[in-house]
Amino acid sequence: MRVVWNKKSDKKPKEAEKMEVQELVNYFSKDLFVPKLKSKTKAAVLVEFANLFVESKVVRKQDLILELLQKRETLGSTGIGGGVAIPHGRTTAALEVKIAFGKSEAGIDFDAIDKKPVHLFFVVLAPPHDENNRYLPILGKMVEVLNESKNRKRLLNVQTFEEFIQVFEGIE
Amino acid sequence: MLNKQLEFLVSLQDLDMMLKDIEDVKALGFDAKGIEKIQEAREALLKKIRKPLLSTYNKLQTRYKRSIVPVKDDVCLGCFMRIPTQLITRGRSDQDVILCEGCGRILYWYD
Repeated sequence: MRVVWNKKSDKKPKEAEKMEVQELVNYFSKDLFVPKLKSKTKAAVLVEFANLFVESKVVRKQDLILELLQKRETLGSTGIGGGVAIPHGRTTAALEVKIAFGKSEAGIDFDAIDKKPVHLFFVVLAPPHDENNRYLPILGKMVEVLNESKNRKRLLNVQTFEEFIQVFEGIE
Repeated sequence: MLNKQLEFLVSLQDLDMMLKDIEDVKALGFDAKGIEKIQEAREALLKKIRKPLLSTYNKLQTRYKRSIVPVKDDVCLGCFMRIPTQLITRGRSDQDVILCEGCGRILYWYD
């Protein structure tokens, strides 16, 4: 993966340093875990995740979330390379921080920075000012974890939510 | 159905937060070069919002970190004041844009 930290400082953002990787587990849930994404395109996978957040009652309006995710991709692709994308955003429509996970074995063209198809999707939604201000630390820690090829390989092999959680609990 | 004007306001606040977060997400390594596209989308959104509502939103932005706040268990999560019953009924029906009687923020119902 090419992009990790700010090249100017060559340091991890402070936010990422404040979070233990195991804390990420608190933001996953079984109903936001999709071991086999149906979508084949970038547009479709954003719709699939927006629907998932509504079905899981994280938000009640699909179109608000979809618009947020689409606008974020307009700003620049959240495909960070290495077969990983982390679409994200703060939205008034969400009451708490949640992370959805989806896997595509075939891979999806997501305009990633390395131009390679994306297999692992982590979609992070947060309210405007989450109580503990965890949004940026979560994003930072996700990037740090997914920068490691061994973590990506393990995640590519998970089939169940339990296996998925075990991967995160096992990261040092 | 969610009031279209409220929907526009929510989208506006979401875009404002996205713009505010740009430097932070760039520092994390994310691509965020298309700022002008987001600003264009924001401009387009501003044209859809009725002027009095936009004025309310802008005034609230100068006073608070966020102009639109959630209602949970009939309580405004901006000032934690209980919402009067008649406003709850109107708010839940999504027909009107409702302001909190305590803090003046725009209210958004989650359920």
